[in-house]
Amino acid sequence: MAERPQALVLKFPGTNCDRETADALKLAGFNVSVMPVTQFAKDSLRTCRLLVLAGGFSYGDYVLAGKLAQLELECSAGNDLRSFTAQGGYILGICNGFQILLHLGLLPDGALVENESGRFICKWAGLHKTGVSSPFLEGLPAEFELPVAHAEGRFVHRTRIPESRIALRYSENVNGSMDSVAALQDATGRVLGIMPHPERFVRREQHYDRDWTGHPMWGWGYFFFKSIHDHILNEAL
Amino acid sequence: MPDPVFRSMPLDGMTRIRLEELSRSMDLALDACDMCAIQDHFKSGTRAPTDVELEVIAQTWSEHCKHRTFNAVVEHGAEILDGLFKTFIRDVSTRISAGKGDFVLGAFEDNAGFIRLDEKFALCFKVETHNHPSAIEPYAGANTGLGGVIRDILGAGKGAKPVANLDVFCFGRPELSDDSVPENVIHPRDTMKGVVRGVADYGNRMGIPTVSGAVYFHEKFTHNPLVFCGTAGVIPVEDISKRVEPGMILVLAGGHTGRDGLHGATFSSLTLDEESHDTDRGAVQIGNPIEEKKLTDFILQSRIKGLIESINDCGAGGISSAAGEILSRTGGTLILDDVHLKETGLKTWEILLSESQERMILVIRLENLEPLRELAAVYETTCSVIGKVEDNGILQVVHGGETVCSLENSFLHHPPVKRLQSECRRPDSAAPTGSRKLKTLLADINICSREPVIRQYDHEVQGNTLIKPLAGAGGDCPQDGAVMQVRGSSKYFALGVSLTVHTGGDPFAMGHAAVDEAVRQVLVTGANPDKIALLDNFCAGDPRNPRDLGPLVECLKGLSSAAGIFQAPFISGKDSFNNTYQSPEGTESIPLTLLTSSIGIIDDSRHITGASIRRNDSLICLLGAEYNPQQAVMNYRAFYEAVQAGCILSAHDISDGGLAVALAEAAFSMKAGVEADTVQDIYAECPGRIIFEINAADREQVEEVFRNSQLSILGHTTAAHRRLVIRQRGQEVVNEPLEELKAIWQNALKPWC
Repeated sequence: MAERPQALVLKFPGTNCDRETADALKLAGFNVSVMPVTQFAKDSLRTCRLLVLAGGFSYGDYVLAGKLAQLELECSAGNDLRSFTAQGGYILGICNGFQILLHLGLLPDGALVENESGRFICKWAGLHKTGVSSPFLEGLPAEFELPVAHAEGRFVHRTRIPESRIALRYSENVNGSMDSVAALQDATGRVLGIMPHPERFVRREQHYDRDWTGHPMWGWGYFFFKSIHDHILNEAL
Repeated sequence: MPDPVFRSMPLDGMTRIRLEELSRSMDLALDACDMCAIQDHFKSGTRAPTDVELEVIAQTWSEHCKHRTFNAVVEHGAEILDGLFKTFIRDVSTRISAGKGDFVLGAFEDNAGFIRLDEKFALCFKVETHNHPSAIEPYAGANTGLGGVIRDILGAGKGAKPVANLDVFCFGRPELSDDSVPENVIHPRDTMKGVVRGVADYGNRMGIPTVSGAVYFHEKFTHNPLVFCGTAGVIPVEDISKRVEPGMILVLAGGHTGRDGLHGATFSSLTLDEESHDTDRGAVQIGNPIEEKKLTDFILQSRIKGLIESINDCGAGGISSAAGEILSRTGGTLILDDVHLKETGLKTWEILLSESQERMILVIRLENLEPLRELAAVYETTCSVIGKVEDNGILQVVHGGETVCSLENSFLHHPPVKRLQSECRRPDSAAPTGSRKLKTLLADINICSREPVIRQYDHEVQGNTLIKPLAGAGGDCPQDGAVMQVRGSSKYFALGVSLTVHTGGDPFAMGHAAVDEAVRQVLVTGANPDKIALLDNFCAGDPRNPRDLGPLVECLKGLSSAAGIFQAPFISGKDSFNNTYQSPEGTESIPLTLLTSSIGIIDDSRHITGASIRRNDSLICLLGAEYNPQQAVMNYRAFYEAVQAGCILSAHDISDGGLAVALAEAAFSMKAGVEADTVQDIYAECPGRIIFEINAADREQVEEVFRNSQLSILGHTTAAHRRLVIRQRGQEVVNEPLEELKAIWQNALKPWC
C-alpha cells in the first residue's frame, strides 16, 4: 500500500466548510490536517501535497470576498505558495477558497462578484467538463452535478480566458458567470478554483433525489477528491 | 483602575406612584408591586440600593428572564391555576419522560432541552423569539435573533455544536397599500426582506444549515411581526452536566462590550408604539457573525480539551443575566475592571447589562486559564477573567475597587408571584374556510412555495442535510421535516415545525392540532414515534388583559392533552408576551400564536422518507379521517411499522389546503400523474392525516399493518399523463396538468420576496 498523501486544509476566521472538506479528503484517502491560519508557518507546507482553501466567509467577506484572507496568506506564506506548486504541490480552492485564489493571482485574471440575482443562492447545479485535462476531474463523467451555495459566485473577466483554463462550466448558468465558468485552473493544472461544493456530495444519500442513479454508494464529490488523490499517488510511483 | 459610575437610589418613603414613576424613568419595566417588594427588601438592610442593583433586579425579574406570566397564579373562570408552565407543560412532560427510559436527558433547566441520539451523543434544541427588535430593525433584529439562539446551543451543557437552524416568521400582508401602514411602522414587505436577509447573512456566515421553517402572512402582524429562530446541536452525553463550584473562575469570551443593546430584556416586556422606532433603537444590538464563528470554534475546541466546567450565553440582560444564572446556586463576585470595552465612559450598570453580541461566559478551573488563553489566540478571539464562584449565596459586583451590587440569591431569584385574570370564553366559531379552488389555494401566499426564501439560506453547509427543505426528483418539491445525519453516529434526526395562529375557532383544538402536526412532520420522515420531543414557543398580547390570556390558557390545555396522548414530551420552550401596538385608536394585540417544534430520532438510514412521489406505478394511500387523537396515535404507530417494513416510498402530511394541496405538492416531483378518489372533503384541513405512496405489490402487507387504522387506498400514480385528477365519490372535482399547477405554486411568492 502506498502511503496516504498529506492534505492541509487552511482555516481562516469565518471559514466554515473545513470539517466536511477534511472528511471528504479522508474518505478519498488523504491524511488531513485542518490548520487555523494563526498556526500557519513557513514549514507548514513541507510534507503537504495538497493545500485546500475551504468554503466559508473568511473574515466575513464584507469587502471583496476573499481579499483579507489573501493578504493574510501573503503575509504568512508569501512566495512559498508559488514555490509549493513549482515543487509538485497542488492547490484547491472551493467557493471562498476560489475567491482567495483569484486574489492571490494563482489563477487567470478575473473576479467573482455578486450573483446576477443579487442574492445568495443555494441549489444544485448541472456542470459539464470542457475537455481540458485536470487532475481533479479525471474520475468524473462529462456531465455531473454538485450543490452551489454562494452570494458572490459570478465570474467576470476583462480579457477573455483561454479555453484551456476553464475546467468546468455550468449547464444552466445559476449566477450569471461569463462563459458560464464554474471552475478555473492555472497553466499547469496544479491549481484549481471551483465554485460548487464537491465536499457536500460524497455519499449518494446526500443527493436531493432518493432515487438518484449515478452510483450505488458515492456521490460525484467523492470522485472529485478521489481523482486528485489517485493522481498524486500515481505521480509518486 | 477605572472609576465605577454608579449612584445610590434611596427608596424609603416613596409612594407606590413615585415608585412606578421611577421604574418608568429608568426603563425598568417593573410594576408597582415589584417596586414595593424591592423597597421592602432594602428597608430591612442598612443602606439604599444602587442603580446597578435596581438594574440587575429589573433584568432578572423581567418577563424575558423569569417568565412571570407563565409562572403566575391565574384565575381562569372558576379555576385557579398555580403556574401555567408547571401545570400544562412541565408536569405532563416529566410524567411522559419518566416512561421513556433515558430518552430525555435534560428539560427546562439548561439553555436547551436534551434528548439521546445514541450511546455516545445527545441532541439539544432551542427556539427563541426576537419580535420587538425585528419590528424596529428587521435586518439587525433577525440577525441577532439567530445569533442569540446559536449561543443558547453553545451554552447548552459544556458547549454543544450547532448543526441546524430553523426560522419561522409571521408578517403582515405584503400586498398592503403603502398608505395603510402608519408612518413609523415598517411595511411588511420591507420587514420580510430585512428579516430574511438578516437570517441568511448570519446563518450562512456561521456555517450552520438553515433546514426548516415557515412563513405566515396575516394582517394582524403588520405592527408586530414575529420572528422565531431555532438551533439544534450535538454534544457527547457526558458533556451535558455543568459544574459550578467555589474556587472556579468566570471568563468572558468573544466580542467586546459596548452601549449597543441596553435594556433588551426589559424592552421586550413593553408595548410598541409610534415612537418605538425612534426611542428604542438603542435596545437593538448589532450582529457580527464572524465574531461568533471565532467564538464557536474556540468554545468547541475548549470543550473537547476538557477546559470548560460550565458555560452560559450573554443574551438579554448581558453579563448580569448570564453570570447571575451561573452564580444563582452558589453566589460569587464579578469584577468588571477587565471587561474589554468597545468605548470608554460606560456607566457601571451599562457594562453589566450591555447586550453586545457574540459573548459567552465560561466557568473554568484556575489552572486551565493558560491553555484557554492559548486557544483563544489560535482562534483569534478574546477572553478576560471577570469573576469567581463563591459559596456565600450572594451576587456581588465590584468595579474600580468599590462594591456596586450585593444581592442575596434568595431574594434576586424569587420575584413576587403575579396574579392574573383570564377570561374563559366560549370558543368562537371557526373562521370560514377561504377559497375552494385548487389553483387559488396553490397561489395563496400562505400555501405557495417558499423557494424564494429557502434558496437564500445555505441549507447544506456541513454536508449533513439528507432530506433538504426542497427535494424530490427535481430538487424543488416541499418536504415536511428536514432529516440530518450526525457525524460519528449511525442514527439520524428530523426537525419539524407547526405554526398555529388563533384567528378564530377553539383554542383548545389549536393546541391539539399544533402538537399533532409537529409530531406528524417528523413521523412522515421516518422518525420513531417513541423518540419525538417538542418545544413550545407562545407569542401573545398583553397578559394583564384577560381576553388575551383566556385563549392562551385554553390552548395550553389542548397542547398538554395532546402531548400526553402522543407521549411527546416538551423539553424546552420560550414565551413572548406584550406583542401589542399602541396607536391613537387603542391597543392592538397579535392573535395568540404558537410555534411547536419537533425533533425526532430516525433509527436507521433505510427509514428516511421524503415527501415526493417516486414511481409511476405505485398506490397512493390516505391515513386518517376525522381527527380523534387516540385513533391518530394508533395510525401513527402503524405507519412507523410500515416504515420499518420498508413499505413506504414517500409520505407527506396533510396541512394547509387539505388533501388536494398535499397531493399536488407530492406530485410536483413530476415523476407521474396522480389519480385519486376520496369520500373526504378534499380541502378540509383537519389534523391527523398523512398521504403516502407504496408499491402496488405491497398492498396486502400494508393493509395488514394498518388493519386497526383509518387507511384508505386513495388512488394510484400513472405514466400515462402528468395530471392531477381527483374524484369525490366518483365525480371528478380536479383535473389539471401538474406543470401548470406547479408553476402557479412556485411563482406566487416571487413578487414579494
